[in-house]
Amino acid sequence: MAKVYKQVPFAAIVPSPQTENEGMITGNWRFLRPVVDKEQCTECKTCYIYCPDACVNYSKDEGISFNLKYCKGCGVCSNVCPVGAVSRVPELDFDD
Amino acid sequence: MAIKKRGTGLTAVADAWQLADIDVSASFPIRPYTAIMAELAKRIANGTMKCEMVHGEGEHAQFSIAHGASMAGARATTGSSGVGVTYAFETYSPIAGGRCPIQAIVGDRTLDPPGDFGSEHTDCLTLRDNGWIYGWAQDAQESLDNSLMYFRIGEDPEVMLPQIVAMDGYFVTHIAQDYEMPAQEQVDKYLPKFNPQFRLDTKNPVIMGPQIEPEMGPPLEWDRHVVMTKVKEKIVQATEEFAQVFGRTYAPFVEEYMTDDADMVFVLQGAHAVTCRSAIKYLREAGYKVGMCRIRWFRPFPDDALQEILTKFKVAGVIDTGTSYGAPCAGGVLSTEVKAAMSEILNKPIIQSFTSGLGGETITHDEFFAMAEMMQETLKAGKLIQSGTWVNFNDYHEGASQINAAKNEAAPSK
Repeated sequence: MAKVYKQVPFAAIVPSPQTENEGMITGNWRFLRPVVDKEQCTECKTCYIYCPDACVNYSKDEGISFNLKYCKGCGVCSNVCPVGAVSRVPELDFDD
Repeated sequence: MAIKKRGTGLTAVADAWQLADIDVSASFPIRPYTAIMAELAKRIANGTMKCEMVHGEGEHAQFSIAHGASMAGARATTGSSGVGVTYAFETYSPIAGGRCPIQAIVGDRTLDPPGDFGSEHTDCLTLRDNGWIYGWAQDAQESLDNSLMYFRIGEDPEVMLPQIVAMDGYFVTHIAQDYEMPAQEQVDKYLPKFNPQFRLDTKNPVIMGPQIEPEMGPPLEWDRHVVMTKVKEKIVQATEEFAQVFGRTYAPFVEEYMTDDADMVFVLQGAHAVTCRSAIKYLREAGYKVGMCRIRWFRPFPDDALQEILTKFKVAGVIDTGTSYGAPCAGGVLSTEVKAAMSEILNKPIIQSFTSGLGGETITHDEFFAMAEMMQETLKAGKLIQSGTWVNFNDYHEGASQINAAKNEAAPSK
């Protein structure tokens, strides 16, 4: 029987996803978790811009927070933070 | 109105880019490519061109910038030479696979080491498996004309592939020659505005080049394979229409010169064709029935055209202006491809390879004469005497032994 390949659009160009992809949860790759110190954070949103996986969230009430379901723990946020407010904490230090 | 100008292959392509109203050009200096970025910078400063020029920190960045600009919907250009071309190597397949029709200019330069800067086709030939479409121009006029034709073919909605306007470094990029810069109206008539179906747009966000599953890869690669057949049709069409609009006629794939009654032909590409033609005139006077076939496209490779043309001759001497060490039949890339294209054809000529014009050397009349002599011997023998010949190194014609003796004498360090 002929092999059936998956249909792929032209050059694999697809609309940007509007919702989270439940088929590709990447949070369990992480071994260092980003933790923001709200006292130090100036809410400059540099980490929000730099995060390669759009896992930094911001709201006026909550400030900066991370989407740990998908964050792979790459640490870019911690590296770009101009005031050093994002630290990377070993996952084993957390109960969840 | 078209203007008669005197300039180099690089100023000619700068003219083409000006007429094509490019939006972005990404630059990084390396001889002999550098002159075109200098030319563009001057034109932008003078106000004759409106284009955003972005300077990369290396060729990898340079090609990536052009890639990004193209994804955003810009008509983007870039270019390089020699090791600069290979430094950007990672970017070629993603650009073609993402179907971003950027245009690059490559002024050929040898690959190091040592740091030779002369022309040799090896740099650009290494890109042959990446899905770009390209071929070599023989002079400034053809560089300009190719640039316009390539935009037209590459940006065609049914094609969408990046292109390289390749030319021999220095011979084409730096020797001043007469050419004609077409009128803006002609170009506007020939080349529609770049209008891609998909582009990066915050109002309608898309992902370009996403991670895919293994079962999705082969169909995309099949698309890239199939489109090359389409490109061949488009080349014929674009070359014909070019002649109608601009009045300059090119053979779509293979230019023939003095082949009507020829027994033997030189097969080559690029600027050495100019010397080859004048050498043929002398050879004809001396009674050699020799002609020339100049290949205008390397990807897609013009196998149909070659199969039709080369069967008329008894011997074809392919001139490799580049290297592929350890390649089959002791030749370079071009001869290997020509042999592959002809392999199953009945009545094919005896195909032999000559490696010449390396490191920026001119292929002189004497060298063409020597090659003709060796082809004549092949013709007489009716079979290959030597598959791959490096001209001036392992020639086998009468007189070659004297040349080799003189060479050994001149190099006593051996």
